[in-house]
Amino acid sequence: MARLFNLPTLLVIIALGIGLPFIQRPVVAAEVLTLGIAAVATNVLLGYTGMLSFGQAMFFGFGAYCAGILATKYGVSAFAAIPAAVFATAVLALLVGLVCVRRSGLYFIMITFAFNQMLYFLAYSWTTMTGGEDGLPGVRRPALIADQWSFYIFTAVLFLLSLVVIKRFVDSPAGRILQAIRDNPARAAATGHDVGRYKLIAFVVAGLFTGLAGAIFAFVFEIVPIDRIHWLFSGDIVFMTLIGGSGSFIGPVIGAAFYTWLQETVSHYWDRWPMVLGVVLALVVLFFRTGIAGMVVTLTRGLRRRTFVAKKLEARQ
Amino acid sequence: MSILIASQVLNGLATGMLYALVGVGLTLVLGMLNIPNFAHGVLYAFGAYFAHSIIKLSGSFYLALLAAPLLVVVMGFVIESQGIRRLYTAHHDYQLLFLFALALILQETIILVWGPVGFSVLPPKLLAGTVNLGFVIYPAYRLALIVVTILVTVALWLFLSRTNVGAIVRAGMENREMVAVLGTDINRVFLWTFGLGAYLAGLAGALATPILGLTPTMGGDMLPISFVIVVIAGLGSILGAIASGILIGIAQSLTSTWWPEASNIAIYALMGLVIVLRPQGLFGTR
Repeated sequence: MARLFNLPTLLVIIALGIGLPFIQRPVVAAEVLTLGIAAVATNVLLGYTGMLSFGQAMFFGFGAYCAGILATKYGVSAFAAIPAAVFATAVLALLVGLVCVRRSGLYFIMITFAFNQMLYFLAYSWTTMTGGEDGLPGVRRPALIADQWSFYIFTAVLFLLSLVVIKRFVDSPAGRILQAIRDNPARAAATGHDVGRYKLIAFVVAGLFTGLAGAIFAFVFEIVPIDRIHWLFSGDIVFMTLIGGSGSFIGPVIGAAFYTWLQETVSHYWDRWPMVLGVVLALVVLFFRTGIAGMVVTLTRGLRRRTFVAKKLEARQ
Repeated sequence: MSILIASQVLNGLATGMLYALVGVGLTLVLGMLNIPNFAHGVLYAFGAYFAHSIIKLSGSFYLALLAAPLLVVVMGFVIESQGIRRLYTAHHDYQLLFLFALALILQETIILVWGPVGFSVLPPKLLAGTVNLGFVIYPAYRLALIVVTILVTVALWLFLSRTNVGAIVRAGMENREMVAVLGTDINRVFLWTFGLGAYLAGLAGALATPILGLTPTMGGDMLPISFVIVVIAGLGSILGAIASGILIGIAQSLTSTWWPEASNIAIYALMGLVIVLRPQGLFGTR
C-alpha cells in the first residue's frame, strides 16, 4: 500500500480513518467515508478523464434504494444487499453511460443531469417500493455491525478497499489512457484508442463506486431520504470533489469531510444551508479553483516552485 | 374520448409553448456563450415571483406581464457582466459551476423573500372564463397563453432572421471568434444575448403563474426540462427548440392521461431514445 499511495495521501487516509470517529459520532464519520468514496469515484470522471457528470446522485441514490429495498422488503442482510446493489448500479451505469458518452462536453453534462431527474421521478412516483417523498425508513443493520463502532469499522474497510481499487485503476494502462483522453481527446483517438469505450469504462467505474457509497449509506442512518437521488445532491458531490481538489487523488475525500463539517456547522445556526453552499461554491470557482489539496500543495512547495499537480490544475482553468 | 384527447393536446400545447420559450432562451445562451445556463430555471422562477408581487402591488396582470420579464433581464445583465464575464478565460466547467452556485443562491433568495410556501395566481378577469371552440370547451387563459407565446416566438423568429442584430446573434452562435474578428463588440453581443435569454425565461415564468402556480423549486423543476429540450432539438437550433418544447409538452400531457405516474419520466425516456437514434438531435446538424 505504501507503494500505491504517496506519503501525504497515506497520511490523510490514516488521519481521517482513525481520527474521524473521535471527532464526530461514528455514524457521521461513516457517512463522511461514504461521501468520500462517492467523491473519489466521481473524480475518476472529473479529474482523470475530464468529464463533468452532473448525475452522480442517480447512482448514489440508486445504490442506496437497491440496498434499502432489498433489506426492508425482502429481508436481505446488508452483506448480500450491498454487493447486489453495486451490481445493479453498475448495470444502470452501463445503460446510462452507453447513451451519455455518445455526446461529450456540454451535452454530456446536460444529459447526465437530465437522466438524474428521470431516476428522481422514478423514486418519487414508485411509492410502494421507495416510500416516495418520505424516503425509505427501517433499513436495519445486521447484528454483527449493529452498533456504531463496528459499523464504522465495516465502512472504513470498504472505504480503504475502494480507494485501493480506484487508485490501481487510475494508475493502470487504462487509467493512463483516460488521462490522455482528458488532455487531448483527438490525439488519444489518433493513436488508436477507442475513446468512447474508455469513457464508458470510466463512467461505469465511477457509477459503480458511487453506487457502493450509496448502498453503504442506506445503512448509516437506516433510512434512504429521497434528496440523495435529487440532482442537487449531484451538485453536492461535484462540490466535494472540486473543493477538495480534483487534481489530486485524495483531495475529494478531504472535500467530503469539509462539506460535512460545513453543513453540520451551518445547519446548527441557519436552516438555509444551500445558500451557504452556493456562496462557498461561487467563491471557490472565482478564486480557489485548485481546491484545498491544490492550496496545500502550493503553500508547502512555495509559490514559485509549482508542482506538477498545481500546473496540471492550472492548465485546466 | 376524442374530446379528452383534444383538450389534452391543447393542454400539452400550452405547457409546451412555455417549455419552448424557456428552451429557446437556453439555446440562445448555450449557442452564444457556450455554457448550459444552470441559472436559467431560477430566472424563470423569478419571472413568476416578480409577476406575483407586481400583481399584488398594482392589481394588474398585464402590467406584471410587461414588467416582470424586464426585471429578470436586469438580473441577467448583472449575472453576465459581473459574474460570467470574469470567467470567460476559465474552463467552461467553472462557468457552469458558477451558474449552478448562483442558482442555489437565487433559489434560497426566493425562499427568504417570498417564503417557502407556494402561491397561486388567478388569471385576469377578461380571461378567467372558458371559450367554446366547437369541438371542446377550453379555459380562455390557456388559449390566450397559446396565442401570446406563438406571437412571441414569431416575433423572435423575425428578429433573428430579418434584422441586422439578429444576424449578428446567429453568426455568433455559429462562430463567435469570427464575429469578434469582424469588428463586432462581442461582449455587448454576449450581454444582450444573455439578456434576451433571461427575458424569455422571465416571460415564461410570468405567463405560467395562473396555470402552474408558484413554488420556490419551480425553477429547479424547469431546468432539467429545458435541458431535455435543447438535447432533443440539437445544438443551436432555435426552431428545433420550439418544436421540441411543443413535442415534450404534448407527450407529457398525453402520458399523464393514461399513465400519470410515468408522465414525468416519459420526456427523459424520449430524450434517451433521440440520443440513441440521432445523437446530433432532431434538428441539429453537428
